[in-house]
Amino acid sequence: MKKKTVRVILKHLLLTALVVLWLIPIVWLVVTSFSAYNGRNTSTFFPTEWSLTQYVKLLTGADTVANFPAWFTNTLVVAVANCVISSIFVLMVAYAFACMDFRGSKGLQNLSVIVNLFPGVLSMIAVYFVLKAIGLTNSHLGLILVYSGSSGLGYLIAKGFFGTVPKTLQEAAKLDGASEARCFLQVVLPMSRPIIVYTIISSFLVPWMDFVYAKMILNAGISSQWTVAIGLYNMLDKSLINTYFGQFCAGGVLVSIPISILYIIMQKFYVEGVTGGAVKG
Amino acid sequence: MNKLKSGLGAVGQFFADFGHAVADGDIFVKLSLVWFGAGYLGRKQYVKSLIMTIYEAALVAYFALVGIPYLSDFGTLGTVQQEYVFNIVTMKNEYNDYDNSFTILLFSVVSLVILVFAIYIWIYNVKNVYRLQQQAAVGKHVNSFLEDVHDYINGKFYVTLLALPVTGVVLFTVVPLFVMIFVAFTNYDQNHMPPSSLFDWVGLSNFIKLFGGGGITDTFGYAFVRVLGWTLVWSFFATLTTYFGGILMALLVNGKTTIAKPMWRVLFMITIAVPQFVSLLLVRNFFADNGIMNTILSNLGVTGFLHNIGLISNNYIPFLTAPGWAHVMIILINIWIGVPYQMLIANGVLTNIPSEQLESAAIDGANSWQIFRSITMPYVFSVTGPALVTDFVKNINNFNVIYLLTADFYVTTNQAMANSQAKETDLLVTWLFTLTQDYYNYKMAAAIGIIIFIICALFTLIAFNRVVARTGEGDFAQ
Repeated sequence: MKKKTVRVILKHLLLTALVVLWLIPIVWLVVTSFSAYNGRNTSTFFPTEWSLTQYVKLLTGADTVANFPAWFTNTLVVAVANCVISSIFVLMVAYAFACMDFRGSKGLQNLSVIVNLFPGVLSMIAVYFVLKAIGLTNSHLGLILVYSGSSGLGYLIAKGFFGTVPKTLQEAAKLDGASEARCFLQVVLPMSRPIIVYTIISSFLVPWMDFVYAKMILNAGISSQWTVAIGLYNMLDKSLINTYFGQFCAGGVLVSIPISILYIIMQKFYVEGVTGGAVKG
Repeated sequence: MNKLKSGLGAVGQFFADFGHAVADGDIFVKLSLVWFGAGYLGRKQYVKSLIMTIYEAALVAYFALVGIPYLSDFGTLGTVQQEYVFNIVTMKNEYNDYDNSFTILLFSVVSLVILVFAIYIWIYNVKNVYRLQQQAAVGKHVNSFLEDVHDYINGKFYVTLLALPVTGVVLFTVVPLFVMIFVAFTNYDQNHMPPSSLFDWVGLSNFIKLFGGGGITDTFGYAFVRVLGWTLVWSFFATLTTYFGGILMALLVNGKTTIAKPMWRVLFMITIAVPQFVSLLLVRNFFADNGIMNTILSNLGVTGFLHNIGLISNNYIPFLTAPGWAHVMIILINIWIGVPYQMLIANGVLTNIPSEQLESAAIDGANSWQIFRSITMPYVFSVTGPALVTDFVKNINNFNVIYLLTADFYVTTNQAMANSQAKETDLLVTWLFTLTQDYYNYKMAAAIGIIIFIICALFTLIAFNRVVARTGEGDFAQ
């Protein structure tokens, strides 16, 4: 019995050590954001002088380099629009492939697998030229189109879930005279709460997490147009890092808090959706 | 193989039905070969007839005004160079009526897609009209227009559901992909940028260049082998380390004796919940040459020790700025952000392990290592094994980790790599990105993109075949 207790304690010590290791950079991010020093603190892990100046500067002192309030609003607008379009697309495609039997269903799904094997950046090069030709580069509409245009390809997880909704329920509804559309909206969707929440949050998070596409589309260098990702990236430019590193950390903390919370909620619903399946019985 | 046959069979059936319809159809069916609305008119479906007629008119107008002019230039990609000339009529300097190679390429691809779609609709239309004729002949009910419309929220609801998403994918992925595939066979680069100059077909020469046939002064072949090698090495280690790391971490967190399991999970998850552009950019400054990690190690005397034994030549450790060091560090940092993610997946799998097996093994006196090796691992592997290949393919295209850790940070000292705009730490996909964003070298980027696709497709096919061999299930999409 004693040997076992020792093992349990050792195990928790190991876990604690791992957590410390995993959180060191995050802790560094948080403590640096409360530093009075603007540049990179290279001599000590904790700041020598604590202060809120980085947050104050970031939120009130918008200049040509840093315009965090605008970046946050831009990302929010793009995220909301993308969230609406992508979620609808994903759920529609998932229902068509999971619950309806039609000719060409398998063929289309196989094609989507093949299309997904090409690097996304490749097609984005051509998309960039098209958007440029119609004047949509350096605009948020263009960015929304880029994020949501092909979002239908991400149907796999929702399709897997819809497949677990008992077929008998759908058949019963149809026997009662419900059309396929009503079956989708009033039978399958209400039973799919976890996967709907998962789809909504994950598509909302795309513009917050993405860096590549935003950098490609918003490339004119007008900082008030940027999303949080490119804005923060730009702060670490060699010529700027010694003035803006503190603000970068403050911005990182501010954007990470809501994103982390959403991410953790999303994971909870994902696990619920994948392991729980639809309402049993 | 059977799948391929049945697929070909379905296509054959599609055209055979079309032949039947044309041969056995009445005058309205035959007429609808040239006038799409004719068949519906014959069955008194006036609205549908009108819609098809308008559709046909739009199609003809598109091809007459846009499609055919562009498609006819497709072979040359344009011949008239842009020039700034004096116009006698307006008495001003103006651009001539020049060709834009990219526009020609783009509209040709769009027109080809529309053409394929139009042919499909054309055949489908004739078959549909023939079906109506047969229904009318046996006195069956022929749908009214409203009934047809209602069908789109019922039997044909999938058409309604898929119409917009598929259009989106075609416009934002399929058409651009075809354009870029064609670009790989042209000389579209910094010296051939529309609209000021034209680009032209060059056959396979970009691929020859990539495979080392570009001449003695050309370093693309040299860089390609190295970048490809690192891409595969990276994907291999990134996939394996995070996979096994994730399982071990999940076992640790999920163990029977662990207290406060959700707390540990959430603590580890914070790393992946923070957006990568924050966490990775932060970490690269943490490990910078004059960063905090170097200060700490220097104070501890580690740097001096490494310097003395000749492992480093400067008074700092070049974590992310020297080849070798950077490669190892990238994989280690990837463990940091990848393991918690794999832990989440492994968590779900572990909770589903049949507990009877674990219990009976414990009764038989197996120790925890034996249980892990003979029950847990085989089970986890059978469930998540196929995902290993998907992860491998994802890592081949793992843009974020490499780009955010090395872009504008790692500078190559290898002149041959630098000549082809590559770095030792580049993956194929980040190389592609740099080539287009900083050097406008679209032709080589497109060729690299095709190579990436071939590699990914190869691994997916192998994995798919192994899954099929094991489960006997021939379903790609499941």
